[in-house]
Amino acid sequence: MKKQIIVAIGREFGSGGHYVGQKIAKHFGINYYDRKILEDIAEEKNIQIEYLEKYDEQKRNMLFSRNVKGYTNSIEEIVAEMQFEYLRKKADSGESFVIVGRCADELFRGDERLFAFFVLGDIEDKIQRVSKRHNISKEEAATKIARHDKSRKKYHNRHSEIKWGDSRGYDVCVNSTRLGIDKTAELLEKFIEDRLAWQESEK
Amino acid sequence: MLLAQILAVMIFIAMFVLVVMEKFERQYITLGCGGIMILLVFGAVMRSWSAIWETLNVSSFFTSGFWYTASEGAESTSGINWSTIIFILGMMIMVEGMAKAGFFRWLCLTLAKLVHYKTVPIFITFMLLSSVLAMFIDSITVILFLAAVTVELAKLLKFNPIPMILSEIFCANLGGSATMCGDPPNIIIGTSLGYSFTDFLTNTGLIAAVSLVATVIYFFFVYRKQLASENGAGVDLSAMPSPASAISSKRDFVFSCLIFAAAIVLLATHSATGLTVALIGVVIAVATLAAFWRDALTLLRGVDYKTLLFFVGLFIVVGGLEQTKVLEALAGFIGEISGDNVMLMAAIIIWLSAVTSAFVDNIPFAATMIPVIKILATTQGVDLSTLTWGLAMGTDIGGSATPIGASANVVGTSVASRNGYFIDWKTYCTTAVPATVIVITISMVMIFVRYC
Repeated sequence: MKKQIIVAIGREFGSGGHYVGQKIAKHFGINYYDRKILEDIAEEKNIQIEYLEKYDEQKRNMLFSRNVKGYTNSIEEIVAEMQFEYLRKKADSGESFVIVGRCADELFRGDERLFAFFVLGDIEDKIQRVSKRHNISKEEAATKIARHDKSRKKYHNRHSEIKWGDSRGYDVCVNSTRLGIDKTAELLEKFIEDRLAWQESEK
Repeated sequence: MLLAQILAVMIFIAMFVLVVMEKFERQYITLGCGGIMILLVFGAVMRSWSAIWETLNVSSFFTSGFWYTASEGAESTSGINWSTIIFILGMMIMVEGMAKAGFFRWLCLTLAKLVHYKTVPIFITFMLLSSVLAMFIDSITVILFLAAVTVELAKLLKFNPIPMILSEIFCANLGGSATMCGDPPNIIIGTSLGYSFTDFLTNTGLIAAVSLVATVIYFFFVYRKQLASENGAGVDLSAMPSPASAISSKRDFVFSCLIFAAAIVLLATHSATGLTVALIGVVIAVATLAAFWRDALTLLRGVDYKTLLFFVGLFIVVGGLEQTKVLEALAGFIGEISGDNVMLMAAIIIWLSAVTSAFVDNIPFAATMIPVIKILATTQGVDLSTLTWGLAMGTDIGGSATPIGASANVVGTSVASRNGYFIDWKTYCTTAVPATVIVITISMVMIFVRYC
């Protein structure tokens, strides 16, 4: 990949956003970041990864946290900031990558290297996928989806002016149920290639 | 008046809730609520120009007593306390200069070197340093530098910095309670009620000194096993950062030390010289800007104007409660509960202040309670100083109990967590709550013995 690209994928829980991201990363031969961010931060700062996972993509507790001159005691926000710093460093190094979640659409907003996508899905499709992946009942899957989406939404909206899933904040919002995971990934790959070609021709 | 009272209370509660929610920056919240208080309560409901004028308190600037007073006089408790704002502005400029010169980092590294980088002596000296510095410098700055150096030393000496940072935070809050300029509530209390630096030093200072001994023993006892197992053995001491490396310019360093020393002398003698804290604030600001004239603009840009504006708005909102006589009702309620029992009244003030300050910002609380204790002293015939020292110790120390109780706690835990040493509520409160209870109890007993 000659030109640097940063592919930020927001996703509903169970929509297959992870797989779409992995496929795009594989297609372009670039790094895919999701849990790996936490692994790298845990190693660098000598922290137990389980601790980071507990606070990953969580919203701060309003009653139990305070902000003083840019310093916060909210571990959720500190973990988020650690990840933002990690992603900024990766971007500054010139590396191309796919990042799932972590408010990356907001972090790199306005940057011409950014390709911001949001993957959603029909609820039945998401329930089926989650129930199969986690080996749980459909009712449990529906509860899990609602819980995770609520948490992601709050986390995103805490760090971003543009709301989670609002089409105005993304280049493409796509329902993965319509085309399936593979075709959705191909659609987005094509979008990236076309936009890169268009950017090149504009110069 | 009832409608005005209801509206004033609603605006006050809305201000608190909005500050907690952090949807907007807190200075906009207090200024916005202050503006509504003026327009709605004073203007539309009370139609009182005098209430607006008294709350804005601008006329105080033009009185000689604002700058010089033969005996320490009280600024009006009503409305914006400009003395506090000007004094804090002056201190902020001085601290910016000291930080730029590398004073704080130099001090921390020098002490660590003096005790040969041994974990237990560092633990104790940093607690003492935190307390002593916080007597004169705002606790946020103290902890910002102390916690950063602690983390740096922890990485080099391979010890867990969390016990040390938690102890430093507690001692910073404790040190702040010892003087008039150590903690914002004390500055507001001192300027509003007419107490001097010496008054604080000989009253809350004495309580803080006794409490500091108890605190050092307590934290040492709590963390002794952890400290003993992390004695820094086998570490290459030549790799330690040199204190001299902290100094960015020797000239600036010397000047910042001289200005700091002059500030302490001026504060310690202000009741004798007649210089008010507002004038001292102006003097140290001008001296710092003159000494660092090349970087004067940078220093001015570094001033935390947001906090100063936060104070302005806050004083207006509290002024609204006072003008509508809501605080008189609160004072009447406390007076009714305690009857003629001075001890009970002092205990209510100190524990109420402590518990409230553990969860909400102690500055608005102190600003609200000052008129209350003044009314209580007048109506119940209680010595004002008894309630004043109770309020000061309660608000200053109560904030130590939780990670959100005081600004230093937030900054200290944040510095540790950013470096991978996460401090959650459980970790924080396990040691801080007992320490707070110990110090508040000591304060209460000393107030009972000495004043009741």
